[in-house]
Amino acid sequence: MEPVAVRARALPARRKSANAVFQGLCYAATALGLTALCLILGSLLYNGVGGLSLRVFTEITPGPGSQGGLLNAIVGSLIMTVLGVAVGTPIGILAGTFMAEYGRYKRITPVVRFINDILLSAPSIIIGLFVYELVVVPMGGFSALAGGAALAIIVIPVVIRTTEDMLLLVPNQLREAAASIGAPRSVIIRSVCYKAAQAGIVTGVLLAVARVSGETAPLLFTALGNLNFSLRLTSPMASLPLTINQFASSAYPEWQSLAWTGALIITAAVLLLSIVARVLVSKRSGR
Amino acid sequence: MSISATSAPILPSIATNGAPIPHAAPAREKVKIEGLNFFYGQNQALKDITLSLRENQVTAFIGPSGCGKSTLLRVLNRIYELYPNQRAEGRVLLDGEDILDPKQDRNVLRARIGMVFQKPTPFPMTIYENIAFGVRLYENLPRAEMNDRVEHALRGAALWTEVKDKLHASGTSLSGGQQQRLCIARTVAVKPEVILFDEPCSALDPISTSRIEELIDELSSSYTIAIVTHNMQQAARVSEHTAFMYLGELVEFGDTQAIFTAPKKKQTEQYITGRFG
Amino acid sequence: MVNIPMSAVSIGGRDLAVRRFAASDAFFRLLTRSAAYFVLTLLGGFLLTLVFGAWLALSTFGISFFTSQSWNPNPDILKFGALAPIYGTVVTSTVAMTLALPVGLGIAVFLTELCPLRLRRVIGTAIELLAGVPSIIYGMWGLFVLAPVLQNLENNYLVPAVSEIPILSTIFAGPSYGQGILTAGIILAIMVLPFIAAVSRDVFQTVPPVLKEAAFGLGATTREVVTRVVLPYSRVGVIGGAMLALGRALGETMAVTFVIGNDPKVRASLLAPGTTISSSIANEFAEAKEAMHSSALVALGLILFVITLIVLAAARLLLLRMNKQAGA
Repeated sequence: MEPVAVRARALPARRKSANAVFQGLCYAATALGLTALCLILGSLLYNGVGGLSLRVFTEITPGPGSQGGLLNAIVGSLIMTVLGVAVGTPIGILAGTFMAEYGRYKRITPVVRFINDILLSAPSIIIGLFVYELVVVPMGGFSALAGGAALAIIVIPVVIRTTEDMLLLVPNQLREAAASIGAPRSVIIRSVCYKAAQAGIVTGVLLAVARVSGETAPLLFTALGNLNFSLRLTSPMASLPLTINQFASSAYPEWQSLAWTGALIITAAVLLLSIVARVLVSKRSGR
Repeated sequence: MSISATSAPILPSIATNGAPIPHAAPAREKVKIEGLNFFYGQNQALKDITLSLRENQVTAFIGPSGCGKSTLLRVLNRIYELYPNQRAEGRVLLDGEDILDPKQDRNVLRARIGMVFQKPTPFPMTIYENIAFGVRLYENLPRAEMNDRVEHALRGAALWTEVKDKLHASGTSLSGGQQQRLCIARTVAVKPEVILFDEPCSALDPISTSRIEELIDELSSSYTIAIVTHNMQQAARVSEHTAFMYLGELVEFGDTQAIFTAPKKKQTEQYITGRFG
Repeated sequence: MVNIPMSAVSIGGRDLAVRRFAASDAFFRLLTRSAAYFVLTLLGGFLLTLVFGAWLALSTFGISFFTSQSWNPNPDILKFGALAPIYGTVVTSTVAMTLALPVGLGIAVFLTELCPLRLRRVIGTAIELLAGVPSIIYGMWGLFVLAPVLQNLENNYLVPAVSEIPILSTIFAGPSYGQGILTAGIILAIMVLPFIAAVSRDVFQTVPPVLKEAAFGLGATTREVVTRVVLPYSRVGVIGGAMLALGRALGETMAVTFVIGNDPKVRASLLAPGTTISSSIANEFAEAKEAMHSSALVALGLILFVITLIVLAAARLLLLRMNKQAGA
């Protein structure tokens, strides 16, 4: 949309062409960015769809040069994601609750927020190292538990951030109203504030699930990966990203093809989760 | 055991259920405020306030914005304690007990002194739960009794007929006026002794407003009521006593009729005749 | 004294409730506070663990750990210097930011100033969604799709084209194997691009419409409004967002590991293979048998953590400043 003034007084040619170049570059940037991203999703579909079959979900990862599926990786991913979210979510919600409720006016809260924001984007491989020293070494070996712990540490800052943000959106009037019928603070928070912030917090948890289900680096030397089917939490466990990592860099075409299929599955799952989270939020704001 | 009423109250009240309203002569002082000062950080918002709320009567607080009338209400149930850097000095006696005493449990106090706010604040739950929530805090009622209590509270707030078929709909699905009556029902359900109204009609249309006013009048037969209002007609209509506040001070306090017909202070007169505020 | 009937419920029931509430209130408060403090200890825990783990290597090699580029996990030699991984990390991130920042800003300008309203939401959402695609996907794509294409382009066009030009012939010295510093930088750029675009768009949207309207009203072109009103107003936020992206690029593991070539050498050519801190750790840590080797890798982790900590802290401080400015 050009402003009306342009029509009234002709723009000097130089300004006009500079503007055209500028706008052209912006269009080009967008086209370039979208093309790159479409190419990635496109080749994911192109290379991954072919491998999609029932056996991907019913058979475990094959040995080199033979056929198989991703069952153990998918199950492992689910188990460790559930572990991480189950441990990380309560801690995140509680810490976020402290920041938005009991500690809202405390001096420590901005400090916690600052640290949390840093943790939010801390390199995930560092988290792997941390959990290795803290869990793997004392336990004497790689394990699904260690993998779950690493994922939990990634979940915590995400959940803290959304919990705090969502609780801060709950109007104080609601807290006052609950207080004025005699509800103590803990009941106000649990029965009123959590309910009012529910959709937002659920969204945060979904985003955290999306984030950890694609994480590879923190699992490399915590869960390690496993070519066999294992449900033991104290043993190494497979996960989709770990399997993709191993298979993609291998020389076997069967493994590479499974890696593409796994990549497609994980990307679809992550995108689906993010979309559900978004719909939840927009529903809430629409009400 | 109640005190028998011998003389009529100052302003005529609408009798409920055809029964005469028992009024004390003069009504007992339910809440006594003595030398109350209030501070927001360094700013003093209330200066040496002394007055009483009489039992089963309505006391209105009027005055220009920022005069401290809402602040005064927020001291009476210690709701200000939700925020930092706010403090009250002086004494507020409820039935002779100082409620500002830190030893008093603030939650119980708030159950005894209910509050209805400017904007309707239904909880994010069903209509039924909005009311049962507060009751459950201090009472463990069997289901049938709880149903009775909810119905009773909704009837008391003149909302029952409108919502009895959708008790399990969300409280936020009601209209503004209905939401405010739901908040009143919620307050009544926990059986308070005093109800504070903080500009309860300022967000409502005229029809909803008059319904709330009628309701306040009815409630005053069983509860001690304080109401903050910007609307002087409203103060005149619903209250027996009126306090005029200005810049954190209590300028004049007395019978509503007297305040509105023959104010003693010049400031009061100027305010009620609309010359400032 | 007149005896007043209590309209309230039995006092005994309330007393019980009060005691229960006092206990549960205190407990819940303690619980939330502990969780919040746990976050603080996490950061401290990271640092302590890393310092502890890195101690062997750092105390053995001292300052030469930062200046030497010999990285030899051979049990008989065990000599470690972090120069190559540090160099690789810095250079890949620089390449990534150089490419992604202008493109990301361009997308943000497109989204806020040029895009039709209906498309704005669609493209905006798509970009936000893509910011969440796991990094291993980018890495895989880089390995299988981008690297062969780049190898072809570089060997057949780029290297011959610059072979006579003094500095460029060094930076782009062939032969290219497809995997190397430049490829890693490009993949990183694609990965942080959605993030930069989304953050910059959000920052641009904090510019009050009045300011832009006033400039347009004076007859300013889109370019002039963006460069003289939007960018100056949102400068702090844009820099903050860019540094957040830089923090991500520095610490990114999977997108890089696939395509960097994994060779712990410092080479002038961007087409040559290299390594980064995170990819070294990812590739070697699980297999590191020697205590010194592990310790050297943890020391790399410590260096990475400190660098990202500084970058991220600076980014957050800048964004905080922007929010204060927007709030005022």
